Amino acid sequence: MTAALTVSGMSKSFAGPRVLDGVSLSIEPGEIRALVGENGSGKSTLIKILAGFHLPDEGSAEVNGQPLHLGDGAASEALGLRFVHQDLGLVNNLDTVDNLALGVGYSSFRGGIRWRQERKQARKALAELGYHFDVRRTVDRLAMSERTAVAVARAMGPRQTAPRVLILDEPTANLPAAEAERLFALAKRVADSGVAVVFVSHHFDEVFGLAQSVTVLRDGKHVITRRVAGLTEDGLIELVIGRQLEQVEHDAKAAERQAVVLEAEGLGCAVLDNVDFSVHAGEIVGVAGITGSGRDEVARALFGGLDRTGEVKINGGAVPPLRPDKAMGMGMGLVPAERHANAAFMASTLRENITVVRPGLHWRGGILRKSPERADVAKWLERLDVRPRKPEFAMADLSGGNQQKVVLARWLRLEPKVLVLDEPTQGVDVGAKSDIHKLVDEAAAQGTAVLVVSTDHEELVRLCHRVLVFRRGRIADEISGGRMDHDVITAATIGRDQAGAA
Amino acid sequence: MTVDKQTTSEPDVENKAGQPARARRRLSVVLGFDRFSGLYVWAVLILIFSLWVPDLFDTANNARIIAGSQAITAMVAMGLIVPVACGAFDLSIAGTLGVSVCTVIWFQANHYGWFLGVIVALLVGLVVGLVNSLIVVRLHVDSFIGTLGMSSILLAGTEWITGGGQIANGVSPAFTGIGQNQILGLPLPVFYMIALAIILWWLLEYTPVGRYLYGIGGNPQAARLAGIRVGRITTGAFLLSGLVAAFSGVILAAQLGSASPDVGGPFLLPAFSAVFLGATQVFPGRVNVPGTLIAIFLLATGVKGLQLAGAPAYINDLFNGAALIIAVALAARAYASQRKA
Repeated sequence: MTAALTVSGMSKSFAGPRVLDGVSLSIEPGEIRALVGENGSGKSTLIKILAGFHLPDEGSAEVNGQPLHLGDGAASEALGLRFVHQDLGLVNNLDTVDNLALGVGYSSFRGGIRWRQERKQARKALAELGYHFDVRRTVDRLAMSERTAVAVARAMGPRQTAPRVLILDEPTANLPAAEAERLFALAKRVADSGVAVVFVSHHFDEVFGLAQSVTVLRDGKHVITRRVAGLTEDGLIELVIGRQLEQVEHDAKAAERQAVVLEAEGLGCAVLDNVDFSVHAGEIVGVAGITGSGRDEVARALFGGLDRTGEVKINGGAVPPLRPDKAMGMGMGLVPAERHANAAFMASTLRENITVVRPGLHWRGGILRKSPERADVAKWLERLDVRPRKPEFAMADLSGGNQQKVVLARWLRLEPKVLVLDEPTQGVDVGAKSDIHKLVDEAAAQGTAVLVVSTDHEELVRLCHRVLVFRRGRIADEISGGRMDHDVITAATIGRDQAGAA
Repeated sequence: MTVDKQTTSEPDVENKAGQPARARRRLSVVLGFDRFSGLYVWAVLILIFSLWVPDLFDTANNARIIAGSQAITAMVAMGLIVPVACGAFDLSIAGTLGVSVCTVIWFQANHYGWFLGVIVALLVGLVVGLVNSLIVVRLHVDSFIGTLGMSSILLAGTEWITGGGQIANGVSPAFTGIGQNQILGLPLPVFYMIALAIILWWLLEYTPVGRYLYGIGGNPQAARLAGIRVGRITTGAFLLSGLVAAFSGVILAAQLGSASPDVGGPFLLPAFSAVFLGATQVFPGRVNVPGTLIAIFLLATGVKGLQLAGAPAYINDLFNGAALIIAVALAARAYASQRKA
């Protein structure tokens, strides 16, 4: 039988190290293959090469025995490669019919669109995938799995050539568990029709529940391709991280227990599902989890940036949802992720960036006194070693690390009772990163309760007394003491969901 | 720690700017070209017109006329700064001005007295601001569209109040005195303008509210996550621009002593031109009070000079339209270079 897809010796580097290094693999028609590996292992680069986004340095590919012209999206499609990217690529305010027509056009168009016929075709395409819903509803009113179905239906939809390979890039990243089950059924139907299915996933329960075979990439290299049968979860984790999981003698920082400051009870928000936790004064608690685990929502849900259910309390007082001003007034500070979008005022001065929370501290006799304000800001710039130490410089003039320090200074200046840090060293150079870590330690030493959300597990080990591991919207594990280790955290974020049916 | 210090090096500006560029920049900073270029252009304009039409332009009387006639535009423009600072347009300011003029004159024509008329006109301004803010903040209508619609509604309002024609009867001389009397040879509206400028300058530069306004205008999402109540501040901005437009309308009514439905329209474009041209001055990259004032008088001097030199009447609209486009282009450039730096 001719392989549905063959990749040979594929290599790619972006200005420096190889992100893909001589990867070869082959997939049979009707096979379901999981593609797994840590962030940066080369999975998405491989997929982007197949989709024609990147041109590889070396290597070739064949689809159904025919050579693929690399670097050309149209050629990929003409040979029958179909993609569903993580963000699905749907237009939210259009309905299913219109979304199916995006990029390929309306098949019934003959001087006018025959809407009745289009709707019939859309319903048929979805029914083949096991979905039945109103195709006239706009996408933003569909459940996440229904949206995924629309994206799959579009990928599998009529073209000049029949689909040979369906490639799903983290299709379940944003899917609650129950909806993920429906997606598995969908993938199986597609495979039963003779199409090879490749899916990228961080959820190992999916690998075991859905895939027949698995390919592991690590540091851009092909590690192994084997059948899933006979593989254990620990075995797969070792293949992914490249060494044996051992009991490490690396004790987490032990904190003397002080009073509870921050409490979350029954916290719910998007995928977050009824989560309870608390942070004590002087304690640094980490939050780890893959994308879609709820990790990315925790910080904003606590502070009021996102709507939520459940209670958030500071020293016993309830913080109302969607009121960042109240959260701030009660002593909470948030350094949000994605500084450019969520925290920095690029055209404003460092002074204004720091004093934007409570500028009134220098309000005397009906006037904001700028020279004491400048002195105050200069003091903070010095304490955080911000370069240049110029309060009147524009935020945009600073490097990423220095901007992040300015955002941190904004909150440290208020001496918060609770400090929530979301990816505090994202896009920050090594020097600034260690400075920021020291500042967080100092804040905790002075009694601030700190919650650090991070995808950088070394950072969590460096900073935290204990780490909460989120999986599928719940706290699946808590790591502290002797288990505090980078690999242990990584394994816990992708491990099997104890409660989930796999 | 020493290693850390090396990696966190000085910012790009310091490294990238070569020696000649730096010297040139320092000179332009000393002369204030980067912040006060408008004043230089203004001086050049005055010089040109004084030489070109000395007997008409270069007189104290002409200076008085420019100051008096521009006081209203300047006040409207300053009211506009507030919503623009927080990233919202208010295209209904000219409509509010018109309604205010018609209201205060209508009250006198119908013998309710000018004082009551002034109070009602100011209240109408606040109501317009409130409705604008509900449209923008609660209904999430883009401010440009929402206030454009409002301006048409207000135009309908002026036609309804005036019955489509001019009202000039029953206007009290005590009332017209508010707009026409002079102190030290300058018409009173110039003093109102100065008072308003001081209040708004204080509000924007020396109060927490000013910081919040610019913060919201710079990055509304970051502002929200810094605990700023974006909706409330935006509402306040619309209330203030409505109130200032209504106040300007009261003063305009006193200057004119009459009301007609089309009285507000001509103030819209010059106000916008001045605000955006003003954003290239004094505090480049942000709309501000002194910059707006410089822009107003720069534009007015240009227009007046050209008129006195014999240019046709349409020069006014031409000049203001071109100035708006150039101003926004300059502001965009100032903003881009600030971000790039």
